Amino acid sequence: MLHPVRAVGRRTLRIVGAVGRAGYLAVDAARALRKGSLWAPHLLGQMAKIGVESVPIALFVALFTGVVLALQADYTFTGAVPLYFVGTLVGKTMLLELGPVLTGLALSGRVGANIAAEIGAMRVTEQIDALETLAYDPVAYLVVPRVIAGVIMFPVVVILADALGIAAGLGTAIVRLDMSSFEFLKGLRLFFVPWDVWFSVIKSATFGLTVTSVGCFFGFHTTGGAEGVGRTTTRAVVVSTMIILALDAFWAATLLR
Amino acid sequence: MSIRLFDVEKAFGNVQILRRLTLTIHDGETVSIIGGSGSGKSTALKHMVGLLRPDDGEVYVDEQNVSRLDQESLYELRRNVGYVFQFAALFDSMTIAQNVGMGLKRIPDMSDEAIDERVAECLRMVDLDGTEEKLPAQLSGGQRKRAGFARAIATRPKYMLYDEPTTGLDPVTTAVIDELIVRMSDELGVTGVVITHDMKSAFRISDRIAMLYDGRIRFDGTPDELRACEDPLVRGFVEGRPELMEQVR
Repeated sequence: MLHPVRAVGRRTLRIVGAVGRAGYLAVDAARALRKGSLWAPHLLGQMAKIGVESVPIALFVALFTGVVLALQADYTFTGAVPLYFVGTLVGKTMLLELGPVLTGLALSGRVGANIAAEIGAMRVTEQIDALETLAYDPVAYLVVPRVIAGVIMFPVVVILADALGIAAGLGTAIVRLDMSSFEFLKGLRLFFVPWDVWFSVIKSATFGLTVTSVGCFFGFHTTGGAEGVGRTTTRAVVVSTMIILALDAFWAATLLR
Repeated sequence: MSIRLFDVEKAFGNVQILRRLTLTIHDGETVSIIGGSGSGKSTALKHMVGLLRPDDGEVYVDEQNVSRLDQESLYELRRNVGYVFQFAALFDSMTIAQNVGMGLKRIPDMSDEAIDERVAECLRMVDLDGTEEKLPAQLSGGQRKRAGFARAIATRPKYMLYDEPTTGLDPVTTAVIDELIVRMSDELGVTGVVITHDMKSAFRISDRIAMLYDGRIRFDGTPDELRACEDPLVRGFVEGRPELMEQVR
C-alpha cells in the first residue's frame, strides 16, 4: 500500500534534487562568464558546430513547412477568403510559430543530444575530472561557450528558416495555387509588423539557451558508462523538447498582446 | 608540506565508502594504498585533490584545508598536484602534444616555445617521442597511460597522485612506470600517493604501504613491516589467499 506513495516521494525528491543541481550549474556558469580566457577561444568553433552545421536540417524542415502551409491555407480558405491571405498565413505562422518551434525541436535532437553525449562521455571517462586537476574550470571550458553559441546562433538559424519557409510558400502559391507573387506579397505585408521578427528572434534565443544548457546539465551529471550516456542523451532531448513547448506558450501569452 | 586525511567520512547514497579514514603522507614519501575493489582507495585519492568533498572530516594538502578552499584557491593548489588517471582520461579531440600541454597553458607567462619544449621532454621521459601529432585513439592502452603520466608530470608538481598506474600494462611497461615513479620521488623529491592492486609494484616503489579495508586503514607501515604482518586480512590480500581473509570476515 505504501509503495505508490514511496515511489511518488522518491520521484519528487529526484526532481527537486535535479532542479537544485541545475540551479548550482546556472550560478557556476554565470560566475564562469568572467573567465573569458577559458571560454572565448572555443566560442567560434561552437558557433560553427551548433549554428552553421545545423543550417541544412533547419532549412530542410522550413522548406516543407512553407510548402504545406501554403497548400493548407488554400484548402482551408476554399474561396471564402481572398487568396492573398495565403501570404498572410504563411508569413505570420512561419515567423510567430513554426519557424522557431520546429527549428528548436529539430535542433534539440541534433544539438542537445550531441552536447549531452559529448559531455556525458567526458564525464564517464574522467576527462572532466582531468580538466579539474589541470586547473581548468570545466563549466567555463565546456558549458559557457556552448550556451553562448546556442543563444547567438539559434536566432540566426531560425531567421534563415523563416525566410526559406516564406519563400517556399511563395513558390508553392505561384506554381500550385495560380497566385501571382504580387498577391502573395500583398497578403504577407498586410498584417506584418517588425515586432514579429523580434518575437521570432527572442523565442529562438531562449530555445537556444534551453537546448544547450539542458544538454550540458544532463551531460555533466552522467553516470554509469555507455548506458548512462545513452540515458542522459535521451533525457536531454525529452526535457528540452518539453521546455521548448512550454516556453512557446509562455512567450505567446506574455509577448503577443 | 604533506597530505593529511583526518576522520574522513564519505557516502554515495546509502553506501558508506570511507569511515573515519585517517592517513598522513609525509613530504617526499611515496605511499601506496592497497585494498580490494570498492574499499574506497580511489575515493580517498579524489579527496586529496578536491574532486570529492568529505561528508565529514578534513583533508589537508600543503597545510590547506582542501574541503574548505574556494574554487580559485583550489585551482591554485591543483597546479602543484599531478594526477594520473586509471584509464588515462586523455582528451579525445586533442593530439597527444595538446593533451600534455594542457596544464602548461595555465601557467602564466609560459611561451608556446617553452610549452613545446616541455611537452617533448615529458614525452621523451615516458618513451613516447614521435607521438606528438597522434590522437589518443591511435595509441595502445599502455601508450595512452604513459601519455597520461606525461601530462601529469608536465607542470612539475610537488605532489603526484597515481590511480592504478600499472593496471592492465605488460610487465616491461609496468617496470618503466615504476621506475618513473621512483625517479619522481628520488630525483625531484615529489610526494607520491599510488593506488594499486599490483603488490610487486607496491613493494618496489613504496616507502610506506597502507591497506584500506571497509573504508578504514587496516594496515600502515613499511614494505618490510607489511611482509611481516600477521593480520590474516592483510596477509590474505597481499598473498592472494581469500581463505585467510574469510577467517576474519
